[in-house]
Amino acid sequence: MHIPDAFIPLPQAAVYWIIALIFIALSLRWARKELSDEKIPLVAILAAGIFAIQAVNIPIPWGTSGHMMGAALAAIVLGSPFAAVFILTLVLIVQGVLFGDGGLTVMGANIINMGVIGGFFGYYSYRGFYPIFKSPYAPAFIAGWLSLFIAALACAVEMAMAGTFPLGLGLFSMGLYHAVIGIIEGGITAFAIYLIATARPDIMADSTGVPT
Amino acid sequence: MMDKKTFIFAGLAVALVIAAMAPFIASSNPDGLESAFFGIFGAKEIQGSDLNEDAAGSAEEEVTAITSNEFSFASPFPDYSIEGLSKFGEAAAVIIGTLLVLGIALGLSRVIAARQG
Repeated sequence: MHIPDAFIPLPQAAVYWIIALIFIALSLRWARKELSDEKIPLVAILAAGIFAIQAVNIPIPWGTSGHMMGAALAAIVLGSPFAAVFILTLVLIVQGVLFGDGGLTVMGANIINMGVIGGFFGYYSYRGFYPIFKSPYAPAFIAGWLSLFIAALACAVEMAMAGTFPLGLGLFSMGLYHAVIGIIEGGITAFAIYLIATARPDIMADSTGVPT
Repeated sequence: MMDKKTFIFAGLAVALVIAAMAPFIASSNPDGLESAFFGIFGAKEIQGSDLNEDAAGSAEEEVTAITSNEFSFASPFPDYSIEGLSKFGEAAAVIIGTLLVLGIALGLSRVIAARQG
């Protein structure tokens, strides 16, 4: 879902950067308040793991592929959507600058889609579904799926405003592919949370704010 | 329960194993956004899988004409590749990226935490 430079006109790209910078500032405030000696290694490992797993494109039908985004996972494990903004921004900067993955002028839009929208939808859908299932795994799957699907629809709307995609066909094709890629996102999010909860039950118990 | 140090090293090991394997297992199909782009610009069917390489090339020119965003930048490891090296070079590139993200996240978090008042 990494938007390349050519897909958005520069004035619009600048607006996305300004919006992204506001959320980056808020994520730095989150970091200043919440980062303890306990959480710092966890943030670093999640950032590294998310960078690595984003390099694994899994084939889906229609000659297409998709990879995990990781925003829902970061937000759920660290207990805040701003954790996802913080981590995804770092990942996107390294991807864009070093590997040409995602544009630089349009990086604001990528931070909004994957960090902000992914993080907020991931975190709040997890919190919302948790009381219904009373277990972290189904809500984590739903949070992963929804975070990716909504981010993809937002991307389609941005493409329509850019004049790059027609709105209807953009929403249809982005929605179709990412409804399938979302299964990967949801599955890996739930599995990663299972691994973390098994190895360190204290992390999942404390950070989500949801009593287990 | 796993002790804290073991947990961190286990997490790092998982990240590095994924990074090393990524170029060998990743699909080279266009991703969701690229595939939608090629579909909309007539280089493939949205629900088909054959990509017309020529049409894909002209799609990229067409979209640049629409947005007038001609910014381009030569990244040091384009598409996670290291010039002159094969898949192993790509694995090295993803491992370098993973360690760099780890280092930046760790360094930045420590600086921010040190400024807590």
